[in-house]
Amino acid sequence: MSEFQVVGKRVPRPDGKAIAVGRMRYINDVYLPGMLYGKILRSPYSHAKIMKIDTSAAERLPGVKVVITSADTPKIMFQTSYYGVKDEYPLAVEKVRYVGEPVAAVAAVDEETADRALDLIKVDYQELPAVYDVLEAMKPGAPSVHNVKNNIAAHIMHDAGDVEKGFKQSDIVREDRFTSPMVVNATIGTRCAVGDFSPENGELTMYSDTQKPYNLKPALASIFGMSPEKVRVIRPIVPGAFGGRAGVCDVQTAAGLLSIKARRPVRVEHTRDEEFAVQRGRQEVTLDFKTGVKKDGKIVSMLCRHYTNSGAHVDFGIQNTLQNVNILDLCLRSPNVKFEGYVVYTNTLPGCPFRGLLNNTFSMGLYSHLDMVAEDLGMDFADFLLKNTRKKGDVTTTNVRLGSCGISECIQEVVKASNWKKRKSSLPPNHGLGLGIAGHTAGFHSFIGELSTVLVSVDEYAKITVLSGRGEYGNAPTTLVCMAVAEELGLKMEDLFINDDVDTKTVPWEDGNYGSRGCVSQGRAAIAAAQDVRKQLFQAVAKKLKVSPSRLEARDGRISVKGTNKGMTFKEAVKVYTDMDKPLPLVGRGHYTPPTSEDWDIKSGVGNVAAAWGFGAQVVEVEVDPETGEVKLVEVFTANDCGRAINPLHLEGSSEGGVVMGLGAALFEGVRYDDKGRVISRTFSTYGLPTAMQAQHKITHKWVETIDPYGPYGAKGITEVVMLPTGPAVANAVYDAVKVRVKDVPITAEKVRNALKER
Amino acid sequence: MDHVIQLKVNGVIHKVLVRSSETLLEVLRTKLGLTGTKRGCDVGDCGACTVLINGKSMSSCLVLAVDAQGKEIITIEGLAGEDNLHPLQQAFIEHGAIQCGYCTPGMILTAKALLDENPNPTDDEIRQGMAGNLCRCTGYTKIFEAIKAAAKEMRKKGGKK
Amino acid sequence: MRDFNYFEPKSVKEAISLLGKYEGNAKALAGGTDLIVMMQNKKIRPKCLVNIKHIPNLSYINYDAKHAVKIGALTTLREIEKSVQIEKNHNILHQVVHKMASPSVRNLATIGGNLCNASPAADMAPSLTCLKAKAKVAGPKGERLIEMEDFFAGPGKTVLQDNELLLEIQVPPLPSRTTVVYLRHGKRGAAEVATVAIAAAITLETSGEKCKEARITIGSAAPTPSRVPDAEKMLVGKVIDESLIEKVARAVSNAARPITDVHSSAQYRKEMVELFTKRTLGLAMGQLKAGE
Repeated sequence: MSEFQVVGKRVPRPDGKAIAVGRMRYINDVYLPGMLYGKILRSPYSHAKIMKIDTSAAERLPGVKVVITSADTPKIMFQTSYYGVKDEYPLAVEKVRYVGEPVAAVAAVDEETADRALDLIKVDYQELPAVYDVLEAMKPGAPSVHNVKNNIAAHIMHDAGDVEKGFKQSDIVREDRFTSPMVVNATIGTRCAVGDFSPENGELTMYSDTQKPYNLKPALASIFGMSPEKVRVIRPIVPGAFGGRAGVCDVQTAAGLLSIKARRPVRVEHTRDEEFAVQRGRQEVTLDFKTGVKKDGKIVSMLCRHYTNSGAHVDFGIQNTLQNVNILDLCLRSPNVKFEGYVVYTNTLPGCPFRGLLNNTFSMGLYSHLDMVAEDLGMDFADFLLKNTRKKGDVTTTNVRLGSCGISECIQEVVKASNWKKRKSSLPPNHGLGLGIAGHTAGFHSFIGELSTVLVSVDEYAKITVLSGRGEYGNAPTTLVCMAVAEELGLKMEDLFINDDVDTKTVPWEDGNYGSRGCVSQGRAAIAAAQDVRKQLFQAVAKKLKVSPSRLEARDGRISVKGTNKGMTFKEAVKVYTDMDKPLPLVGRGHYTPPTSEDWDIKSGVGNVAAAWGFGAQVVEVEVDPETGEVKLVEVFTANDCGRAINPLHLEGSSEGGVVMGLGAALFEGVRYDDKGRVISRTFSTYGLPTAMQAQHKITHKWVETIDPYGPYGAKGITEVVMLPTGPAVANAVYDAVKVRVKDVPITAEKVRNALKER
Repeated sequence: MDHVIQLKVNGVIHKVLVRSSETLLEVLRTKLGLTGTKRGCDVGDCGACTVLINGKSMSSCLVLAVDAQGKEIITIEGLAGEDNLHPLQQAFIEHGAIQCGYCTPGMILTAKALLDENPNPTDDEIRQGMAGNLCRCTGYTKIFEAIKAAAKEMRKKGGKK
Repeated sequence: MRDFNYFEPKSVKEAISLLGKYEGNAKALAGGTDLIVMMQNKKIRPKCLVNIKHIPNLSYINYDAKHAVKIGALTTLREIEKSVQIEKNHNILHQVVHKMASPSVRNLATIGGNLCNASPAADMAPSLTCLKAKAKVAGPKGERLIEMEDFFAGPGKTVLQDNELLLEIQVPPLPSRTTVVYLRHGKRGAAEVATVAIAAAITLETSGEKCKEARITIGSAAPTPSRVPDAEKMLVGKVIDESLIEKVARAVSNAARPITDVHSSAQYRKEMVELFTKRTLGLAMGQLKAGE
């Protein structure tokens, strides 16, 4: 008999039926009585002064109810990230700093009228010189985006040991530069919010697709000049997020401000074209890696210079950069480590989180660079990595503490599964095999110290209600939380009901889903809440059965004395509980905040920001058409350290999706601008989103179970880790196939072909 | 320009007032309360808005509501008919083909039209048939598995549903 | 989308009259897969849409005894894809439509719409040009026939007047010892506009190896789908071998006038034109040899 009843099984999403029959209410499906439709007027210039705004013609258009500009706001700047800077207004004040920056907004009886009204708003701009390139922006004399010296919003420096001395001691030193454009979340549903202001009590309800409802509440309150108690956030089910819905978005601020003025609900949804024009994503970045190694493969020095193009506002620019300080020596040991990061303003789109933050580009660069180091050494890349990988118990130079670490095992698993060495030497022409690895947070310390809470209650029919403020967007916290509760109470998933919407008024506080933190914190909180229910039930049953509560177990729908038949059904147990004059609902409270996570030092990135860290490795085989330069994925071998494989069905799906997403960033995706800073990649096809035709490869998964000390049943979140090794693996495989390196990602067919021509 | 039109959706005839410019997608969602059909791009690029019109899969964002009169329209809400779940819906749930679920209605209806025409498709035929439906979450693998499993189930039950 | 007037004429005459009345501010609505997209993207704002789908007898695939075919302008791409006769007699057209957009879009899109939208990347145009197709067009003064290669005036423009309507595409039978090949190059291999496309029709002499006739048409790499007569002449009367194909491919590439856009650079497109001409001609010769 398995130790577990539910954990380890292949469990589909419990609310899958509602989705499959079209009944699930997503944020985009929220339509309220009396609702108006809002649209945002955006700057056509990348850098300009606003001289005058005339909204009178728009206001006169029949069907238009309200028009707003910054004059209708308290003009309070906000920041979206805990590690951010208050440098952004919901509607631009005096200056616009990127093409698409919101300048005004309209609420009307329908979308077409709102759209017409936008055309009638007259804005006089005075264009200013603009800067788009991160290195250009840092030069003296570059146009100033925010009156900050050299446009440097933050300078991050971590210096452990002595890298220069280490380079002198090295037998081989190598330096490589990698660049990547912005890569966006590009979920199939666009950003949407409905603001619903109730004038009778001065309360604003914000229906939003946020990943962090309880953090959005005070953020919006501050922006609207309201007290946080007067703001209520309701998060219906979300059409994908991948991090992009963690911050404050213009649809929320516009919907809120319009609703407050109109005193009616207002819905604001990006059109797809609009979403591609202004959607934020993983920042454009330039990375310099320099590594020194000894002949035997041991790393002596690791240096990274990290130039983050943070765009027109910091948003998550600092946070995304700080994280890579942890990542530099997360997987591999080095006695000397230096990271110098610049978070730089330009007149392009600000960034935001996107699955892995900047670790995606970082790992692609770092592990391609190290693949080249291994080649310089004449060493097999897997052997080289295994010479330097970290182990459980390690503390890195940034104070990251590894309670569990399966990076070596992951590498060994994919080497085994792919028959690495033999396969590499016997591939058909133009085929290549590449190895990539990555490590990432499985948790995130911020705000109220990373707290998750769950309530579990039992009703008169012995059915369970779970209340959790999780951010469900396909990342399966719903499944995880329910599995944990079912496991602890010995029940089936069908016995549970969990809230679809997260309502900050009725569901207890939750930090949200990002940084792969959900598994550990929400899982542990769910276990705690279920155990609280169980404890109360056991006390009643123990009294009835005249045994000590410690002899009882909840299994297979029964509560019985361990190792005997003596017991009763769960339903009977609930009756015993009420017969003892205990009231229903029987409620259990659970909360969890990981004990060892801590804030980053904002100047250096030092800090164990996550209690748990996930790891992964992939070997991929590609086929390159040397004439067109096209790269196709043939086969993928994955191995991920997930702590414990609680739900292999979800893990596989997450990994399969992660690989295709990683492939997209490696080969196709990127926000492209014209020379005036306008986004020109405005459709799924021009942006390069992978289609079903990009999923022709075979894929296998291996779950390395390192049983994390903090995770629920030892599990860690790995929804980000599963996509991170794909980039370096593909880059390394392309090199193996046709001996070209494209270091300005994405590795498009055109670039491969050009590189081949030059060779 | 305003029109009073009749739309037959999931077997029910609705009388609706629409403008020329309103697409079938908008009318389904905002006037008939059928929000199961999703809006992804408004330009036929993503397949999230797929419905069946006279048995054929079509992007409802490209069909004007006024142009959809006199046709049999099936949305995801009407797929199961008298059953609780269509084999495709069942298979998508069981095989983990639903992550965020937003592409699911479009995927299922496109797959239904595909299987109605070709009850035993090869892997390539499934891939090409589904290439107009985008998914950002699943990487497509479990969607293909679900479609294959549903196809097997549908062949067992015999012919079109 | 901005609102517009909307009519459903029941005859070609009525449609033409409506289109003429609006003097260029009305558009014919067939499948809508280009038209609605352009309206959603705000590229055009017609005051009126004339839904021509209620005009009878504009959707058909009619083969005659000689295997020439007349395809009604409202025939959907999906109907063409599913037509057994087209697959048998003009297989190239089956192959072309199979690669276009997606099944859900092909159920709506029409052959007439693809041609009249006149994108430089219009997928049907290169092979129809190679097949020597003709377009039958109706106007207030009557009907006229236009050679496919003369159908396009510029990017997004045909030679049709505002008050003319495309009725039918006529495709002659394939002469014996003829093959037509179409290859398109795209980024993701699905549901996208081609970066570059080449169609080639090669007819060999009644006996022997020499080429009797050749047509090569570029798609997506010039303002309109364009034949390359200079390159075609290089093939006529010759035995087509690898080295000749290479020379011809270079000539076609030199004739191409691609643009740099968000998909690719002009330089890459030129190189792909050369590569895909080589591949197309190579494939054509392979098919001819295999067919013998």
